[in-house]
Amino acid sequence: MAKVKDTSISSRIFDVMIWLVMAFMLIICVVPFVYMIALSLSSAKAIINGKVSFWPVELNLEAYSKIFTYPNFFRAYGNTIFYTVVGTSIALVMTILFAYPLSKSYLKGHGFFTKLVIFSMYFSGGLIPNYLLISSIGLTGTRWAIILPFAISQFNLIILINFFKALPTEIEEAALIDGIGYFGILPRIILPLSTAAIATIGLYYAVFFWNDWFNGLIYLNTPQYPVMLFLRNIVNGTMVVGNASSASADTAMLGISTKSAVIITSTLPIIILYPFLQKYFVKGLTVGSVKG
Amino acid sequence: MKFKEKGNETLQIKLRSPLQRHLFRYWQLYLMMILPFFYFILFKYIPMFGNILAFRRYRPGLGPFGTEWVGLRYFKLFFKDPAFWRAFRNTLTLSVLNIVFSFPLPIIFAIMLNELRNKHFKKIVQTISYMPRFISTVVVIAILSEILSPSSGLLNRFLVDVMHKTPIYFMNDPQYFRPIYIFSGAWQFTGWTAIIYLASITGINSELYEAAEIDGANRFQQIWNVTLPSILPTIMVMLILEVGRLLSLGFEKVLLMYTPANSEVSDIIDTLVYRTGLANQNYSYATAIGLFSGIIGLILVSSANRISRNLTGDGIY
Repeated sequence: MAKVKDTSISSRIFDVMIWLVMAFMLIICVVPFVYMIALSLSSAKAIINGKVSFWPVELNLEAYSKIFTYPNFFRAYGNTIFYTVVGTSIALVMTILFAYPLSKSYLKGHGFFTKLVIFSMYFSGGLIPNYLLISSIGLTGTRWAIILPFAISQFNLIILINFFKALPTEIEEAALIDGIGYFGILPRIILPLSTAAIATIGLYYAVFFWNDWFNGLIYLNTPQYPVMLFLRNIVNGTMVVGNASSASADTAMLGISTKSAVIITSTLPIIILYPFLQKYFVKGLTVGSVKG
Repeated sequence: MKFKEKGNETLQIKLRSPLQRHLFRYWQLYLMMILPFFYFILFKYIPMFGNILAFRRYRPGLGPFGTEWVGLRYFKLFFKDPAFWRAFRNTLTLSVLNIVFSFPLPIIFAIMLNELRNKHFKKIVQTISYMPRFISTVVVIAILSEILSPSSGLLNRFLVDVMHKTPIYFMNDPQYFRPIYIFSGAWQFTGWTAIIYLASITGINSELYEAAEIDGANRFQQIWNVTLPSILPTIMVMLILEVGRLLSLGFEKVLLMYTPANSEVSDIIDTLVYRTGLANQNYSYATAIGLFSGIIGLILVSSANRISRNLTGDGIY
């Protein structure tokens, strides 16, 4: 943006206004998390008396030490890590295996397969047929029920196809002449060139598996619940965070700080990983928006 | 030895056919596709054809896609069902309100972001504003229910202590359902959606701004006369696509916000399908409703795509 530098007073005022609105936007984005952190670190008494706003009052780690003693929470957290790691790995392999052949428009059937993918974005089976399919192939009640049906997202597939299409073909052609087949080219030449795109869709998949709760609700049994479903159930009041019988005078208020601690711990991995992956996904998104 | 030669000969003869030569040359690529192709058939296309259940009666244990043909029976049933029409109205109302209030925000945000001269601050605002998109809906609703809690929530404490009003049970009160839905959606997606407009703004020829400046346009006039007209095609495409998605609301968020108290406004088509189908196990009836809204959705999206392609030469897929 090689704009001519405007230093007039009206332009300065304009700058200040923009700056204020943007600062307001920043605050709106961050404040909910600050409030949650403050609640999770405050004492139950301070929360009851309505003293906690954006800073912990009577700072203590009781809520955190509490949730880490709850076997339910630990199990749900472990489940989520499992679903995220296994789900993302399977999804990446499946998406790469489909995206690479689909990026070769000289392949016979290329048009058919592409249409197959695109039509399934417009029209889908809907909730009930999907549910009945999963139960009739015996996946209900197994961990695979919330992994396998989500192995390929068409949106991510299209991002990767467009990325592969934009790669230079010279090295690939040379490798083919040398007798290295496509099975060799894909891991040795294509994938090392595609780290940005793969990091992008990997992030999308990981976020999807980490955040999913609805599929867990309809397909899984309580011991298999992911942490987001655990959180939803304690917010709903259908599940007790820890021991139901330990009812004390301020159970409700203690509930608020533990709830906040669950919110923070279950979101933390995303917040921590996010700044590192940020540069990839914006790049990947703009690549993917080249219309296929 | 002779046998081997003969084998080679037949192989060569066979490969004369162009299709066989093609398959022989690219068999590895086809092999890669087998598993993903099977995935699409099993998890996308079989459920799609499973919609046939809308026309058949479901009996437990007798296959997932129904037994005898009952024609349009379930469609006639739900067309007469006031609960369906309530859900239909709620879906449309919530969608339209959501577009009216949320659609302009990313455009305004992208334009303002572009006007920020401090590159460092711009980067920080971008990074932070994309983040809510990665937060689970469950977490968004959990945070909201704490901020809006009638006893200890931040907002109600402000209402009570500063404004001297009585606390409001926001999450349960039907009149606040739509504002909360729309506001939380804007909170989550304004920054993210702005990426598309930012990319479009970046593509504007900077000579246009220089010419406008020489003509004496101030920065607001430059936005109005250069930036906005330049990104208008993008805005049109986004708006048309948004209208195409009219029936597909954030089902999970609505389900999380649904309480018996606010059901008058919070029951949308998707939650109705969920309740009648999975909670009450009226599979065929729920499939019929789902299919009906799926077909309307298909018509809306494909015509939206066609319109945007005709207008701007740009569709999404």
